[in-house]
Amino acid sequence: MKKDIYTKMQILSDSAKYDVSCSSSGSDNNYKTGELGATENSGICHTFTADGRCVSLLKVLLTNYCIYDCAYCMNRVGNDIPRAAFSPKELADITINFYKRNYIEGLFLSSGIIYSEDHTMELILKTLRLLRHEHKFNGYIHVKLIPGSDAKLIDEVVKLASRVSSNIELPSNKSLKLLAPNKTKEKVLQPLKLARDISLERTDKVIGMSTQLIVGATPESDRDILQLSSALYDKALLKRVYYSAYIPVNNHKNLPALVNKPPLLREHRLYQADWLLRFYGFNWSEIVNEANPNLDEELDPKTFWALNNLHLFPIEINQASKEELIRIPGIGVRGAYKIIAARRFKRLGFDDLKKLRVSLKRARYFITCRGKYQNEVALYPEKIRYALLEPAKPKQPTLFDINYSATTGEL
Amino acid sequence: MRVVYDGTFEGFLTIVYELYYQKLKPTVIEKSALSYSLFDEVDTLVTDETKALKVLQGLQKWWSRKNLQTILNTFMCDSKSFEMDLLKFIRLGFKDEKELQNINHTSVFAIRNLEKEFFRHYHRMTGFVRFQELEDETLYAKIEGKFNTLYYLGEHFSKRFNNQKFIIHDIERGLAFVHNQESKGIHQVADFDEPIYSSKEEKFLKLWKTFFKSVAIESRTNPKLQQSFVPLIYRTYMSEFG
Repeated sequence: MKKDIYTKMQILSDSAKYDVSCSSSGSDNNYKTGELGATENSGICHTFTADGRCVSLLKVLLTNYCIYDCAYCMNRVGNDIPRAAFSPKELADITINFYKRNYIEGLFLSSGIIYSEDHTMELILKTLRLLRHEHKFNGYIHVKLIPGSDAKLIDEVVKLASRVSSNIELPSNKSLKLLAPNKTKEKVLQPLKLARDISLERTDKVIGMSTQLIVGATPESDRDILQLSSALYDKALLKRVYYSAYIPVNNHKNLPALVNKPPLLREHRLYQADWLLRFYGFNWSEIVNEANPNLDEELDPKTFWALNNLHLFPIEINQASKEELIRIPGIGVRGAYKIIAARRFKRLGFDDLKKLRVSLKRARYFITCRGKYQNEVALYPEKIRYALLEPAKPKQPTLFDINYSATTGEL
Repeated sequence: MRVVYDGTFEGFLTIVYELYYQKLKPTVIEKSALSYSLFDEVDTLVTDETKALKVLQGLQKWWSRKNLQTILNTFMCDSKSFEMDLLKFIRLGFKDEKELQNINHTSVFAIRNLEKEFFRHYHRMTGFVRFQELEDETLYAKIEGKFNTLYYLGEHFSKRFNNQKFIIHDIERGLAFVHNQESKGIHQVADFDEPIYSSKEEKFLKLWKTFFKSVAIESRTNPKLQQSFVPLIYRTYMSEFG
């Protein structure tokens, strides 16, 4: 039976939704007179879904037919689900029309493996050619590389796409073998390495690449995960690693049995730690180590690190360098810049910080202003920890009392 | 002293002029007199274009382009009462332009923050504006918003819809940015009739709604988070929420 285009859209976007990546940032602002589309360096979110995730790109699968049998994936060959496929022309047409209505920033194209890796990559490439050459589209295109496809195909995709990625999915080879028998770490990393080398040959700027790891399906600790991410960033292989809390979509003997809810808090903490790696000059071994292989659930990773390294504190904000400032819990990059801008004109006190709206909720325990330390809590890890975690005053319960955190969605 | 002016940029520059030449000492500046009390001293200022021009020339001569742009951007935040802060900002800048980086001054901090808020609003709008195709393939968008971001939005979309005809219509302010092959620019809109949309519109709207619904992951539903990212005020013309 031939499916109508709305059903196809429903099936194929539903299958793509577990891919977390939706960023459209990090590319140069490029527009050409007489053509359509431009990318924006900051990236633009066009709407937010009911689960609070940004929609920036039209995220669909070209097809959800797949010959692979990965245990965690809902599109695995053994699953009895409705299948559909877009033709490259159909998809290019939808993309252009969505773009013209400012629904989206571009296209995020992934696919199940239909017939073979190369055949799938060909189809993706066809869509790309239509968009770039026929429609003169300069907007953002993110393509998921198909592991095991031909180097020539990857080469052309890298030339046409704004960003490419390949999902590692699981943090170790052992887990991959267990849950994704058709994949190995080498096979998953191969297209990324290839894409890096290809783009390096042409320019000195590596094409933006990302990957995704599933958290909570296998027994790896946060330490293993962060170590892996950190290695990938160091090798300039990736711009971004996404973490995705494991959501059960299949039943399989190798998957964790019954999970009540996805480990959203753990995912949140991993992202916080990831930010520390990429923007705050932290090393993974500072955040997690042998003694604490997993991130603290109650405190964010930076505060946790600070409490374990209290000998470095308090930091005098009128003298500290930018690198030191951003290591203070509660002070981020923006806060640091504000402090640096303001202290050129005067020596700052606690009141000045308040006036500058620098958040002092956590920072006050770790700083001195003009040599003064706050005098409510003494500089001991246990005392500060207690002060930070002080139970909030009970709120008046409402009739429909379901409270969840706005950031993590945790109940 | 309370000063009332007509809310235009020229009107505001006239206040700046009077500040220096007539020793005007405003404590409150209002766009239009909201309420009078018997004992208030109210000065209604008549906009004078020659005075305004003189101030503008002074600003252009002595100020860096970036700081001058800050004044103009602040003026686009027409729903806020920024006048007193902006006045202090301008006085400070004429004394010593370097002080305009000193965010320890309350008014400098306020103006810099307002400018940030303005660009934050503009950035959100770049994503949340929704175009519809008209019969003749012109793209047409209605907008509303707390600040007047029309000029910046127009420039933004001129880049990405370079080969398209488009109109962005600010309903509240009665302004429209029109872009076509020959020209682009802001025009006043006296009155308008609802245009006739293209026949393709329905199909893509339905596709878009289908997509929007099915990319959400049910087990992670979090409307509070969604609302903090897309506040209700932005949703008036966003087709997926209609």
